[in-house]
Amino acid sequence: MITPNIDALSLVELRYIARKQGIDDAEVLDREDLLEALQEMYEEMESNISGDGSVSSPFTQQRFMNTLVAHDSNDTMGTLPGVQCLPEGYSETRIHLLLKNPYWAHAFWSVCSTDIMKLEQSSASFSFFLRVSIHEASDRKLEADSFDVDVSRTDTSWNINLPERGRVYSVSLHYKDTDGNTGRLCVSDTVETPKSYWLDHVDALGKDERQFSLLFSSLVSKGGNMVENPLLREVVELLDERLGG
Amino acid sequence: MARNSIGLILNAHMPYVRHPEYPRFLEEDWLFEAIGETYLPLLRMLRRLRDEGVPFRITMSFSPTLCSMLSDPILQGRFTDYLRLHQELGEREIVRCEREDQECLPLAKMYLNSINTNLQEYFETYQCNILTGFRDLEESGHVDLITTAATHAYLPLYSEYPSAINAQIELAVQSHINHFKRRPKGFWLPECGYFPGLEDYLQKEELAFFQLAAQSLILADQPVERGNYAPVACPNGVFGFARDFHLTNLVWSNSEGYPTDSNYREFYRDIGYDLPLDYIRQYIHAPEVRVFTGFKYYAITAKGNDKRFYHPERAARKVQEHAANFLYSVHQKGEKVAPLLDREPFYTLAFDAELFGHWWFEGLDWLEAVLRNAAKSDDVVFETQLDYLKRYPESQVLQPSLSSWGEGGYSDVWTDGVNVWIYRHLHKAIERMEELAIRFPDQGSLKQRFLNQAAREVLLAMASDWPFIIHNGTSSSYAEKRLRDHLGNFNVVYENMCKNAVNTEWLVKSEKRDIVFPDIDYNMFNLNSRRNRYNG
Repeated sequence: MITPNIDALSLVELRYIARKQGIDDAEVLDREDLLEALQEMYEEMESNISGDGSVSSPFTQQRFMNTLVAHDSNDTMGTLPGVQCLPEGYSETRIHLLLKNPYWAHAFWSVCSTDIMKLEQSSASFSFFLRVSIHEASDRKLEADSFDVDVSRTDTSWNINLPERGRVYSVSLHYKDTDGNTGRLCVSDTVETPKSYWLDHVDALGKDERQFSLLFSSLVSKGGNMVENPLLREVVELLDERLGG
Repeated sequence: MARNSIGLILNAHMPYVRHPEYPRFLEEDWLFEAIGETYLPLLRMLRRLRDEGVPFRITMSFSPTLCSMLSDPILQGRFTDYLRLHQELGEREIVRCEREDQECLPLAKMYLNSINTNLQEYFETYQCNILTGFRDLEESGHVDLITTAATHAYLPLYSEYPSAINAQIELAVQSHINHFKRRPKGFWLPECGYFPGLEDYLQKEELAFFQLAAQSLILADQPVERGNYAPVACPNGVFGFARDFHLTNLVWSNSEGYPTDSNYREFYRDIGYDLPLDYIRQYIHAPEVRVFTGFKYYAITAKGNDKRFYHPERAARKVQEHAANFLYSVHQKGEKVAPLLDREPFYTLAFDAELFGHWWFEGLDWLEAVLRNAAKSDDVVFETQLDYLKRYPESQVLQPSLSSWGEGGYSDVWTDGVNVWIYRHLHKAIERMEELAIRFPDQGSLKQRFLNQAAREVLLAMASDWPFIIHNGTSSSYAEKRLRDHLGNFNVVYENMCKNAVNTEWLVKSEKRDIVFPDIDYNMFNLNSRRNRYNG
């Protein structure tokens, strides 16, 4: 069984997986409790896998790989009568980047058969990796930093953790052959992660009671629940830290 | 005493579901339930207030797909069949309850009475098109009608494709004018999905305002001056109104909202599921698919299946209590907030219309009580976003932050592990549609119809409903099938046009199946062509 690297998932993704797996109170558990509950569940599922590989636990088996949460939709729909079959990919070398939230983006790509053939002719073996480029919001052409993520030749999508807010990101797909030669196959359009003024001015917010009331009185419910949002949560946690300090 | 203005926006939307090829189709019930349980009773309530001279002003958004279905003669006929079938069930229920379920008898009579009223009004008052009722309320100055994306697409995930966003907005405005004979002045962002720059598309269509998720302004990259208690002007002058989560949550929360009160009617206990198959078979779906019938006899009571019977009079008392509590909360909020502001506070409340009546059975009674009590109060008034902008034409200039009202506040709901695969195909379809529009501009006759059908299919595939339903896991097979069908249909046109051919038989069938957007012009996917039209 392939299980996710749950430590690398965001709280939102953990809650999603927990909810799908039928864990009670998935919405209210904090990160540590969610990690513990999911770990226990995966261990139980692992122990329930019989000799032929089928899962006998009551949980629905889902495929997860590293931080990529994959779903093979063809398993359920493609075999039904009257359902249009869609191609797994398109004959083009292209990569897209979708912003899921300020912390995560989803990349999906395809490599056309001509490019694969060229790579196969030039090298006995090659692999792919993604390069995540971070640009300044003020100058999108200027690459401030980058990091690489190894992907398998059969992968066609990946969830990418975005390390900084208020930055512009693009992702490119590269090949690497056994001689160490590398080359770029395609690059995505850019996405920009939002940046909150108050994240950089928490001290000012902590000192300004009027401003604080004005902002938060419309964001917290009667029962004390705040709008669910990770950036807002960051602002509040920073405020707590500063005020506590 | 400060005046507290409430800007209520109700978004009425249903995905385009129309299957005349089947005698009855399960997912068409979504529309029929919404008409019978929300739209008709809402019209009844608003007209009653108007007739009694109760002052109120609210904003309502009608999605173009919903407008198309509400004015579709086939669906109108099928809704009538639906009502008649349930009328027959109601008559049988009265006989059954008299015999074996006396406690439910008043409820069965109440439901039958409501069905009879719906039938009568649907035919006699609205001649089967309830849009005329809402248009009438706009003409009398009680409701401002606005539009939303043509197929309610979640727009932030299409920011790479200006042609698709333009098409969603341009077609929405065109559809609104066709149905309501006026140009809309506001735009409901589907799922409150906003990305910086979206306002530029709205400005092109002369749309003055839109609504935003509650966190959009506080998370902007400049400090917001009046919190969520006033709109902001985007740099291009289009106004954004952020929801008030505190007041919204009094109503729309499954943990602390009014609808969770134990005296209110339980939505999920329905005779469609509770009664023996032999009795209920002809009122559910073939072969034996149990569905909601609308005959629900239990109160929420508590968690678990052990429910007590529903008592409308107890619920009515709660409605009054909750209406009073709501206005008290507004008053209290005003006391705290008004001294912090340099102008009277404005609270934006934005809900899906179907919450009232359909999901929350007593919701429309609550809304009526709130509107009546507000009319009598000294400090609470319901006014629309346009009213506010007339009073205060100047607002702080601020770019709102990327946001939605979905779980987590961004795009996670529409890009989760089970639905994110759709964008590979949707984006490709948009690119191919752009390619077709550029390669075959301004076609006439059959090719024009063929290309228009392709544009229809792309737009229908973009509906936010499909990924949302797949995310929720309810009816996900239907949603996935629809998405695949629209994309597959688009590919038929694309492949034929690449061979410079038109599949006439297929085209005629497709036009009959999806008759939405009769005036669509596929050239809207050609941005150069659009620019020419604007400059011309």
